[in-house]
Amino acid sequence: MVAYRAEMVVWILTATMPLVMLALWNAAAAQGPLAGFGQAEFARYFTATLVVRQLTGTWLVWELSNMVRTGSLSPQLLRPLHPLSLNLAETLAALPFRLVVLTPIVAALLVWRPDIAFLPAPSTLLLTALSTVLAFLLSWLVQGLFGMLAFWLDQSVGLFSVWFAIYALLGGYFLPLPLLPPMVRDAARWLPFQATLAAPVEILLGTNGDPLEALAVQLGWVLVAGALAAWMWRAGLRRYGAVGA
Amino acid sequence: MLGALLRVAFMTAAAYRASFLVDVGVGAMTSVGVLLPLVFVYDHAAVIGGWTFHEALLVTGFFLLLQGLSGMLIEPNLSAVVEGVRTGALDYLVLKPVDAQLVASLQRIAPAKVWDLLAGGAVLAYGLHHLPAPSALGVLEAAGLLLAGLGAMYGLWILVICTSFWFVRVDNLRFLLSSVLDTGRWPVGIYQGWLRLVLTVVVPVAVVTSFPAMALLHRAQPVLVLQAAAVAVTLLGLSRLTWRLALRHYTSASS
Repeated sequence: MVAYRAEMVVWILTATMPLVMLALWNAAAAQGPLAGFGQAEFARYFTATLVVRQLTGTWLVWELSNMVRTGSLSPQLLRPLHPLSLNLAETLAALPFRLVVLTPIVAALLVWRPDIAFLPAPSTLLLTALSTVLAFLLSWLVQGLFGMLAFWLDQSVGLFSVWFAIYALLGGYFLPLPLLPPMVRDAARWLPFQATLAAPVEILLGTNGDPLEALAVQLGWVLVAGALAAWMWRAGLRRYGAVGA
Repeated sequence: MLGALLRVAFMTAAAYRASFLVDVGVGAMTSVGVLLPLVFVYDHAAVIGGWTFHEALLVTGFFLLLQGLSGMLIEPNLSAVVEGVRTGALDYLVLKPVDAQLVASLQRIAPAKVWDLLAGGAVLAYGLHHLPAPSALGVLEAAGLLLAGLGAMYGLWILVICTSFWFVRVDNLRFLLSSVLDTGRWPVGIYQGWLRLVLTVVVPVAVVTSFPAMALLHRAQPVLVLQAAAVAVTLLGLSRLTWRLALRHYTSASS
């Protein structure tokens, strides 16, 4: 039992990159605000990023490609429950534990910089919640898509790390989107990367001028990814059976 | 012994050529991903934590070297040992008439990660090109610090592996390892207070990335070298002791 809990903590600690980025930007903003971001704004931004990322984090790409490669997907296919539904349920069940691990980190950040605390309006909270759910669905679906690549390729996890590298830059993970060069920033608004992270963060912090547009972009990408995932799953399963696994 | 292990690794890579090429491509993308944030940050500020862009590039260069070595040697073996403990396959390793720690550390090598080493070297060269040339002493000091840092990281990694003898399922430790390594991509000057202490003494990532860069910039005091050496010796000794203890604790899969 202890063993599995240790594994959970390890998994969760891997998503603390926002703190590393916070240290960098905090030092960069020591002489004065950058593009409207002072040290307090950076602290607030990356705290929100940390929370949203924990709430929307999934491990589907590793689990799915592992199951396909080792064949442990086969027994799951025999069950009446869809393997992906099972994973969705497991991911949601891990949420309370993620919150438990998250609490001391956020508390420490609040002690470090008390001025990051703020009280969002109820309508903002509602929009943020909606946006977070969409962000979760999208990142889960994207990881699923890359995981399903394992039906055809051995390198699905490697390809996902390419996606992750782009997402870290254009999704608001490494830096707030307003700090990107203007042309990149305008393009990033419409890409799926920010829809999985920056969208809810900016809605929560009130820095997004048009929350409804952001939600619409998110919903659009969720529908696209969902349709693609449904198609790939069917095509992949045919391929999976053909290998004789 | 070392040569034999290396030959096997390259034969494996040659057997899966397409996979090797994809690995290299992925590596190229991720090293660009390491560089771009730095470019974006320095777009907004000229000096961060006392480091200019080109000075920070040196740190990134050493970080890429560390990442390359870690991906090539540490991560594959980490997974292999942890898997061996869980399934009992470690039996075969322990039975061999050579030092188990040596084989456990080098049984798998991923040559595709050589890209990170090349990228690191290129970034270092580019950074140095835009900075005053370091003296011979500075280069020597940097090499010494790099070695001490890598030794310390190796010790730390053996310690991490040893935990798997008790906790069994920690095969995701390599993700923890890489997120710890991530802290090394920035100059240590940006971290404050106890965080800096942790990164230079407990998890000495900064010893591998920032300290050699400081030596090349003639900012490394002699005490820094002593500190790095002390950290390396402590971690290496501690890891050797723990490895022996862990092996005695190892009971294979069935018992």
